[in-house]
Amino acid sequence: MPNRIIKWIDHRFPLTSFIKHELTGYPTPRNLSYWWNFGFLAGFVLMLQVATGLFLAMHYKPDASMAFDSIQHIMRDVNYGWLLRYMHSTGASAFFLVIYIHMARTLYYGSYRAPRELMWWTGQGLLLLLMATAFMGYLLPWGQMSFWGATVITNLFRATPFIGDEVVVWLRGDYAVGDDTLTRFFALHYLFPFLIIGAVVVHLVALHTVRSSNPSGIDLADKDNIPFHPYYTIKDFYGLGVFMIVYFLVVFFFPHSVLEPANNIPANPMVTPDHIVPEWYFLPFYAILRSVPNMVGGVVAMGLSVMIFAFMPFLDRSRIPGGAHYRPVFRLLFYIFILDILVLGYVGYVLPTSQTIAIGQVATIIYFMTFSILPFVSKAEDKWLFKRGLPPKILALIASEEEEKRKRSLR
Amino acid sequence: MADFDDLDDTGRRDFLLKVTTVVSGAGAAAACYPFVASMNPSADLLAKANTEVNLSGITPGAMLSVSWQGKPVFILRRTEQQIKAMTANNGGLYPEQDSDRVKQPEWLVVIGVCTHMGCVPNKEGEGWTCHCHGSLYDDSGRVLRGPAPKNLEVPPYRFIAADKIMIGEA
Amino acid sequence: MNKMIVFFALFACGFPASADEVKLTKFQIDTSVLAVERGVDAFMNACHGCHGLKYVHYRDLASFGIDKDKIASWRGDSTLDSAMSSLISDEAALQSFGIVPPDLSMIIRAREGGAGYVYSYLIGYYQTTDGKTGNHFFPLTKMPDALDISSATDPAKRSDLQGKAHDIVSFLAWAADPHEAERKTLGYYVIAYLILLTILLYNVKLDVWSKLRL
Repeated sequence: MPNRIIKWIDHRFPLTSFIKHELTGYPTPRNLSYWWNFGFLAGFVLMLQVATGLFLAMHYKPDASMAFDSIQHIMRDVNYGWLLRYMHSTGASAFFLVIYIHMARTLYYGSYRAPRELMWWTGQGLLLLLMATAFMGYLLPWGQMSFWGATVITNLFRATPFIGDEVVVWLRGDYAVGDDTLTRFFALHYLFPFLIIGAVVVHLVALHTVRSSNPSGIDLADKDNIPFHPYYTIKDFYGLGVFMIVYFLVVFFFPHSVLEPANNIPANPMVTPDHIVPEWYFLPFYAILRSVPNMVGGVVAMGLSVMIFAFMPFLDRSRIPGGAHYRPVFRLLFYIFILDILVLGYVGYVLPTSQTIAIGQVATIIYFMTFSILPFVSKAEDKWLFKRGLPPKILALIASEEEEKRKRSLR
Repeated sequence: MADFDDLDDTGRRDFLLKVTTVVSGAGAAAACYPFVASMNPSADLLAKANTEVNLSGITPGAMLSVSWQGKPVFILRRTEQQIKAMTANNGGLYPEQDSDRVKQPEWLVVIGVCTHMGCVPNKEGEGWTCHCHGSLYDDSGRVLRGPAPKNLEVPPYRFIAADKIMIGEA
Repeated sequence: MNKMIVFFALFACGFPASADEVKLTKFQIDTSVLAVERGVDAFMNACHGCHGLKYVHYRDLASFGIDKDKIASWRGDSTLDSAMSSLISDEAALQSFGIVPPDLSMIIRAREGGAGYVYSYLIGYYQTTDGKTGNHFFPLTKMPDALDISSATDPAKRSDLQGKAHDIVSFLAWAADPHEAERKTLGYYVIAYLILLTILLYNVKLDVWSKLRL
């Protein structure tokens, strides 16, 4: 009976062929490591956030006089409200952790190179949507940190040339962050995840067009691909199990590790907390913002620090595929970059002193330098590596890529 | 592409797969529970499921209307005359003994919602009149005339003191 | 407006500098029903006059397991359903102290150092040379020494008052996170289940991948 229903649908809708072609039978490189699990994990966390967010929205009140109280209502009176809330707050941090690791994998293995530029750029778009969603979501509890964080960040839009002040007021809906800001941020916070879902679909369509990269950097022969099901379905589920252990350990035993104490105090426009600090996933960018003594300069630097990732396909001028796998200098640059981000994160967290500001400024310079020296370093490293000798498969791949380029330019 | 289907099955693999599927399914089902449960009334609403009412201010013949679970509840303190009249017969269209409808004859506690279509009847002299479709109830909440299909509902309640009742638990 | 913010920010920044080098006491939170019950008792005596807990209702104490009659003695005329609000009005408090005593529903969560800080603060009052009281942990506090611990020179009396403070903080810790016990219990079950599931999934993964000829 179920087979007959499926046949009936198949006549009218490409159900079975779609599933076979794009899901179960989809050819995937056989050598993907666990670093390739994180895209699936990101999708899972997205669904988790949408589900918990939806059920929280059934009880939350997006009004300045009721928001904080409604959170208390959720935490104390709503059945399992505390669980929904902790899952959602931990989920936000989990989302960024997974995404940052996913990005790191892409950078390390050079998966942003042709023909995967669009994957990288749709990913960049997804990152921006996620950051906006998280920023707006953080205002909703209407605690001290929510309010003052939103005040500081919306203030930055004053840097817009000529119409800066008007833009800030327009964003907030009022001269200061207030009830209007809260209600619109709630509306947008509810909307954005669905934009993210749409962008994820585009991201996946791009993926299925160019297929997954793999740790060796070499395009595998057809025989070295394996069907996505059951190999990667089970590997993804296993990875999900490990992830959920870590995630739920935090949810059940350390939920307060991602919740700022000051946010347990209702927002007070008259009193600024000692220490305004964003959530950990914004800290490096916050540090870069504060490193530049000029306000507009700081905003530009911060914006650039997020957007500069988009330029990677052009900045990396090496012809050698596989990213850091065969390129020791690139690998070193990568590790320096990661270390630098951790330093920036620390600088963003602590109260600014002359020492930490200096460290932050050095770290900011290093941050931008790793990107800006890449065109020169990658070319120089290429020369060195070709002289030293590369595996024949890599040379063959490079040769065929050159052929492709020549053919295309001749057309 | 290396295919999976043309490899041999073992009983052990089948069993492992079955167990894993069952365990996953159980977990997924259990995970739905907090979401569904969160939609049920929260603790503060359940607390309001019981309403304590002080009867000391009500004079004989007077009625107090209180809110219980969002609905009006009529508390009528009946005079000797009214009690006599109500116990003399079993009411109109749906006969019921008055003593079955009260815990103490002096106090009538009924939900003030017409059993026809839900309007709130008005106290007019003797009994109640529903102005929506003309149902008439006596001082025991029993239907005397009109389209109402049942006598006024008696909520669960009990006396927690001589002059206090708790509506919500019998 | 900006000047005021800067002023307050700098003012607040000054606090760590002015706190004494007295260390925070490590605090073992005891959120058992008995400890919390003693805590509410002590709270009603020493703190309820000025402080309220707007998010904690008397019925919450009942569902936690405290005897209804005990709660009736604490709430007096207030109904079971009402919140534990303080006995003093905001205006009267402003008059007497110059500040409204903060609501204590979330105080344990709202302070860096949590229960340890609040406990140390409560027992951190001392007599200054000019007969007034100071506090080691929050020198600019406008709150008087509610437990009168600064005048307790006798070790037995001091220990008794520390016990009271301990109970009050335990109660406040429960008040800030009433579902903590339930959360941890459920957590043990969920993690145990997930470990089992992950082991099963791992075995299936190994099994599936073993069929792949290298």
